Amino acid sequence: MLGLEPTLVVLLFSAISAASAVLGAGPFLFRRQLPIVQIGWANALAAGMMLGAAYVLLIGGLPLGAAAVAAGAVLGIGFAAWSHTASGTGDLDLNRLDDTGPTYGYQVLLVNSLHSAFEGVAIGAAMALSLPFGVFVALAIAIHNIPEATVLCAILTGRRVAISSAAGLAVAANVSQVMLAIFTFAIVDAAPGALPWALGLATGALIQLVMADLLPESYRQAGHRTIALVAIVAMGIVVLLRTAVA
Amino acid sequence: MTHPVLTVFLYGLVTALATGLGALPFAFLRTVSPRVVASANAIAGGLMLGASFGLVAEGTEYGAWQTLAGALLGVLFIIGTQRLLGDREVAFGDVRGTDAKQMALIVIVMTIHSFAEGVAVGVSFGGGATLALVITLAIAVHNIPEGLAISAVLRPRGVSVAKCAGWSIFSSLPQPLMAVPAFLFVETFQKALPYGLGFAAGAMVFMVLEELLPEAYDRARRPVVALQVSLTLVAMVLFQQYL
Repeated sequence: MLGLEPTLVVLLFSAISAASAVLGAGPFLFRRQLPIVQIGWANALAAGMMLGAAYVLLIGGLPLGAAAVAAGAVLGIGFAAWSHTASGTGDLDLNRLDDTGPTYGYQVLLVNSLHSAFEGVAIGAAMALSLPFGVFVALAIAIHNIPEATVLCAILTGRRVAISSAAGLAVAANVSQVMLAIFTFAIVDAAPGALPWALGLATGALIQLVMADLLPESYRQAGHRTIALVAIVAMGIVVLLRTAVA
Repeated sequence: MTHPVLTVFLYGLVTALATGLGALPFAFLRTVSPRVVASANAIAGGLMLGASFGLVAEGTEYGAWQTLAGALLGVLFIIGTQRLLGDREVAFGDVRGTDAKQMALIVIVMTIHSFAEGVAVGVSFGGGATLALVITLAIAVHNIPEGLAISAVLRPRGVSVAKCAGWSIFSSLPQPLMAVPAFLFVETFQKALPYGLGFAAGAMVFMVLEELLPEAYDRARRPVVALQVSLTLVAMVLFQQYL
């Protein structure tokens, strides 16, 4: 693809995905803070796209062995849940725009890094299935990263972080995405039998993150119907684009 | 040898009756605390999301745009039904108010979804009747978690286990009714199939996102709800994959 070494394709597109977070700071060029309802929309948009990505990974993985994909998914769900509990961020409310305590700041950045790490696994596993499929997943996650970064920037600017620094931090929180994309790709390249497991793991982790973080967060920020509509449309677009690409 | 139409109908009826088995686990449920409602919602949500993943995957094989258009119609249908229910006093058995509306909605959604599934059954029979028994058995088993999803919403809100089973079977009755015409007019119904599958998926996902999940998050801790939804979703996908 593009005449590049496969590993470089993974590096390039996972880097694009990570860097796209900078666009999430865009709204703050025009206004100092966003209304909480719009942050809810951003969360729902991110949730829907992530659920769409999980669907695409799952359907891509099933023909390789449903049992291995499901076992990987259970691992992914367990690992995502465990990383939340272990880091003390299980019940973290990402809604406290007025909390300027240092602990809260670190926790928010930690949660974002955890999310992007699992997204990195998703990109790496998808790339290993096929490079065009991986590019599709990387771009879907890139777009997903934009509203996610908007939410992060809203919290950071609420803590009087300059918007340029907030944008930088949003990208920095995504660095784990690039590393894990390449790591996963390399592992699966060395042990192809691991591919359905990796696809399952990414699927499970993404679903768990949507259900534990993005959705419950968004329900508190905007009406249930709006959230459901935004999420389902975002999900539909990912599914539709996938069939258009294939 | 019975008439093939009768065979399709009888097989379809068996699959509908199997749905009633989904109410069984709730025979052992004694207390109905907020946490039980949250778990039941989460499990129903996971089952319906998993089922929708399967429907979308099948629908997009017939036509992606048609499936998505169907899904959009499904969402609009739910919003329309909510409008209709919203203005009136709804009673579901002895239950009234918001709970009753939610109960009515899940029965409507799952019944609608059976229409689409009935068409899918009929079309697959039309494709070759040799595997008919295997397909029937598969769908019968596949229907059990759907009965579970309905009962998970009805039972914590005070409906008896027998009535949960009754409503589960009711929701599946369109399956034999739709399977017969779909079997007889395969080509016509095959064109409608992606719309129908998408419609069912859109209605189910929207109901999960708008009604079941927010309520679950209100009544239990987020990580717990998330675990229940995610694990049930994966179990449902795996279940459908093998059956």
